[in-house]
Amino acid sequence: MPTQEEIYSKVSATLVEALNVDEEDVKPTATLQGDLGAESIDFLDIVFRLEREFGIKIPRGELFPESIFQGDPEFVQDGKVTAKGLEELRSKMPFADLSDFEKNPEVRHLSDLFTVQLIARYIEGKLAAR
Amino acid sequence: MTKEQESGGRRLQDRVALVTGGSRGIGRAIVRAFAAEGARVAVVYRGSHEAAEETVRDVRAAGGTALAVQCDVADPNAVQACVDRVAKELGPIDILVNNAGVIQDELFLRMTPEQWNLVLQTNLGGTFNFCRAVAYEHMLRRRTGRIINLSSVAATHVNMGQTNYSASKGAVNSFTRALAVELAGRGVTVNAIAPGFIETDMSAAVRGKAGDLIKKLIPMKRVGTPEDIARVAVFLAGPDSGYMTGQVLTVDGGLSLGAVAVS
Repeated sequence: MPTQEEIYSKVSATLVEALNVDEEDVKPTATLQGDLGAESIDFLDIVFRLEREFGIKIPRGELFPESIFQGDPEFVQDGKVTAKGLEELRSKMPFADLSDFEKNPEVRHLSDLFTVQLIARYIEGKLAAR
Repeated sequence: MTKEQESGGRRLQDRVALVTGGSRGIGRAIVRAFAAEGARVAVVYRGSHEAAEETVRDVRAAGGTALAVQCDVADPNAVQACVDRVAKELGPIDILVNNAGVIQDELFLRMTPEQWNLVLQTNLGGTFNFCRAVAYEHMLRRRTGRIINLSSVAATHVNMGQTNYSASKGAVNSFTRALAVELAGRGVTVNAIAPGFIETDMSAAVRGKAGDLIKKLIPMKRVGTPEDIARVAVFLAGPDSGYMTGQVLTVDGGLSLGAVAVS
């Protein structure tokens, strides 16, 4: 089982390749969309590459909760994530720290959750559960 | 040396191209033109084994690299296997030409579901299958790629008996635009060529029946050659078209302009 550093390092390298950014831009707190310029097509690429790099399967919506991103009315109302939506997020992303987001759960800030660190933590969880 | 080699630059040097329906007609002309520009070309064919091998021989005789691969474009598994084989033998695919196409002309009231499905599944389905097999692995990941879909003036300028063919080509045009939008951010262009009347097996029957009327309808007064189309394909495959995507280039000697020579 690789160490935290090893995992982080591989995640970082994957993001550098997928997003065509410099290594130094990939800080733990860097957000994929805001800081690293990721678009929807990039999220797909990131998932494929992570699957290959770590030999894991990432089911659709497990890392990037599409239903919330796509504004499913059960989970998103008037630009805010509903209580049900927050529940969905908590269950789908147990590796994420939602405390700040919950204070102002606007959908447009959702993408700020997706940092390099979050991805690394997600991978740690997947590998530990194997 | 053929005329193509004499005028060939090296615009596609070391690129790997895959041309479906590459054993005859427009496809073969594209294979030869690409090879003359330095590309390594996979000639994908369904049944014309002899013609495919001959095309490969011609390319090799001229000093180029080519490979014939049998595949039914309508079968997604066969298509994936074909793409994997080409990648193994020639390298990752830089240029995909979806040229394989069939016609099953029939007046609509007599058209059978089989005639409809065959044309849609080959012309449109084949394009989908090959794009799918190639788009991520070969092009998006590498941030480079050229997809060229063969359409037809028949998408918009239709004669009797072509509801299936026209529908398939109209769909190819729309697909070209939609796919262009999705892949543009990663350096992959997706364009189409809409040929008019071209001197190939596919149009032989129509050209025979229409006879001289064709010259009255085509301002350039001649039917097109496969090479006329291939030269445009070289432009779309090469570096000069790098900022162009989602376009359908009509190459028809002026046919679709609607002029009729009265004299």
